[in-house]
Amino acid sequence: MSLPSGIFQESYGQDMAIFRTKLQWILLLAFLVVLFTMPLYASDKILTITTMMGISIISVLGLNILTGYCGQISLGHAGFMAVGGYVSAILTAKLGLPFWAALPCAGLAAGFVGIIFGLPSLKIKGFYLIMATVAAQFIVIWLILQFRDVTGGTDGLAVPRPELFGYVIKTKGAYFLLVMIIACLGTFFAKNIVRTRVGRAFIAIRDNDLAAEVMGVNLLSYKLLAFFIGCVYAGVAGSLLVHYFAFADTNMFPFGDSVWYLAMLIVGGMGSTSGAIFGVIALKLLDEAMTLAGPALATAFPAIAAQAAASLSLIMRGIVIAIFLIFEPRGLMHRWELIKAYFRRWPFSV
Amino acid sequence: MKKINSIVAILCAVMLVALLTLTACGGGTTNNKTLYIGGTFALTGAYAEDCAAVLAGFQDYAKYVNDNHIIAPWYTDRTLPDDVTIEVLWGDDQLSADKALSIYDDLKSRGLLVERITGSPEGLALKDILNLDRVGATSQSTTPAYLSPPETIFTNAPIYTDQMAAAAEWFLEKWTAAGNTAKPRVAYLTADSSLGRGIVIPEMQAYLENLGYEFVGSQFVPMVPATPPTTQLLWLKDNNVNLTLGCMINPGSQPTIREAVRLGMGPDLDYKITFVFANPSHLQVFVPAMGELGNGVVVTGDFVALDANVAGVQFANQLQATYRPSNKISHVMYLDGVLEAMTQVEAQRLALQHTTIDKLTSLDILEYGYYKITNFNVGEITISPLTYGPGDVEGVDMVRIQQVQDGKIVEVGSYPLRHIYKHL
Repeated sequence: MSLPSGIFQESYGQDMAIFRTKLQWILLLAFLVVLFTMPLYASDKILTITTMMGISIISVLGLNILTGYCGQISLGHAGFMAVGGYVSAILTAKLGLPFWAALPCAGLAAGFVGIIFGLPSLKIKGFYLIMATVAAQFIVIWLILQFRDVTGGTDGLAVPRPELFGYVIKTKGAYFLLVMIIACLGTFFAKNIVRTRVGRAFIAIRDNDLAAEVMGVNLLSYKLLAFFIGCVYAGVAGSLLVHYFAFADTNMFPFGDSVWYLAMLIVGGMGSTSGAIFGVIALKLLDEAMTLAGPALATAFPAIAAQAAASLSLIMRGIVIAIFLIFEPRGLMHRWELIKAYFRRWPFSV
Repeated sequence: MKKINSIVAILCAVMLVALLTLTACGGGTTNNKTLYIGGTFALTGAYAEDCAAVLAGFQDYAKYVNDNHIIAPWYTDRTLPDDVTIEVLWGDDQLSADKALSIYDDLKSRGLLVERITGSPEGLALKDILNLDRVGATSQSTTPAYLSPPETIFTNAPIYTDQMAAAAEWFLEKWTAAGNTAKPRVAYLTADSSLGRGIVIPEMQAYLENLGYEFVGSQFVPMVPATPPTTQLLWLKDNNVNLTLGCMINPGSQPTIREAVRLGMGPDLDYKITFVFANPSHLQVFVPAMGELGNGVVVTGDFVALDANVAGVQFANQLQATYRPSNKISHVMYLDGVLEAMTQVEAQRLALQHTTIDKLTSLDILEYGYYKITNFNVGEITISPLTYGPGDVEGVDMVRIQQVQDGKIVEVGSYPLRHIYKHL
């Protein structure tokens, strides 16, 4: 990571630190203050959007570990979220377990299901692995619909809201804080895991799995570990999603979401924790902006059918992804780094 | 490099503007002389055509009320004050639960005290929140699951399971009258979605068996099939099925019937079988597209035919002639838009008899509005006037059965609701 001129690291610890200057620490603290005081000043709509962003960030961070760092492309992430969501829903609604016990169980259950669907990853990769993970999405949803007595099938399942010391977390502000705390912890964990031996093994597998194996990286165990960790994130995100709606339904985990999560990684920058966050924020904001723009455009230009105006969201998302794939395949994060470097070197930047 | 940086900077600026717009919208103020109607519409996805017509119905109806200050030509005594205007607020939820929630929050912050639901994903996602907020919502969809327990989502069509029960009764009468002594064999041929699978419940099967049917099984067809459902149809043939019941939208039912006819399956073809669909597969859309190819197909629980000589259809035609003379909507769901808008306005009008417009709340509209709607005549668009109340969310009390005969829509019967779904 580049630093402003005149700042030198004097120890290995300093060199490895995520935040290395006072300014970075101040910005982080300011960000956290702004973030965690949002319920005091933000509207319900903003809290809803940011809560949904938080849940998506958790899920995409998991996908980033799996796809961005370990190179195992998954198009079944919403299916793994469904596993977590339904495990949490069943444990709390049917067995009466508290949310705080159900949440880790949801993560672990999704992680183990991820391992099962990750098993083929030793033999197949690329396009073939994508198809295997797509199968995961449909198999999971099919199974949920079949076990009607347990999951509620198409009726879905009413889910109790989380409680903390007798306080029911049902306001938008309270749930926002819960999601953001977990998102921050998830980000911290994701940022650090890739700086460990495990993370380096993931990157080695992504860059050249044959070379990694020759160097002593156990491909099967590390690939499965990547599936496990990635799906744990998805499971936690799924659990948070169903408790937010107080309802679990298979429609909450459509295949399209799996595709969009991958798109968020592309836009933000694969293989970068910050990139995953950037990608979620960028595409979610774009989506919301287009949702608002649809009715406004239909009013301003009555010749445009409301339906056409409303479809802008999908069109814009598609265009943005195409633009990034063509002009900036390394995503927003890479571009952000270049912009920072540009201004740091100014007036000598080229 | 400079060029790319500039592009990225512009993109960031757009994002920032979007964020500021969202923030501004979140804190928006409402005009206290305006009553808002509308809600979420799935203008992208499988229901896009339906919802575009519904939205057009909402918009035209709002213009009518603003021009005339009455809720319908046949309700000249039900007026709104001259200084009150109706405005439609809407957003495209893309049939997504989380989008429906953020649109709901947005519209609520802009003053919408009612809501509408397109289909199952939003209905299931919002039902608890609507109940918590005590917001009454109209719905074009009647999936049993999101109506149970009956809370604050109100329908103008019978629940799909009740529609299927009525069709089963109608078919059994015909079957018996034809001198058949064996039990008729029934199967589900339904969409592979919450919409379609909503009827696949034990209570429905038990009802069919008690009625005298032999239940064979289920076949699922994608909501919008990419290929004809040949395998599913041949399964029905192999299992000697006489009647199929299902919930499909037109993009599902039309290719299914086209393939069935190709395979020689239909009431008047080599293999005798009757296909019944619930009302999202509208005959008013089906018949113009299929003509006599669709002969024998039955649709339950729908509105009147678009050429019916009833006040509601005449009113809808008048709205179109006045407000969109060059851009007429031929989709039957336009009637639904008018009807839902009328219901939302009537609920607010009733509530205004108990409070002033500036103090109007969603709870007022629910308790003094929706719950007080009794024998509400919607110009005979629905089979019976609408009546709602606490625990009574199914507006009508009968199921209309229509069939394609000689390429035309013919009403072949009506049956009372059987309340198949256990929670209703």
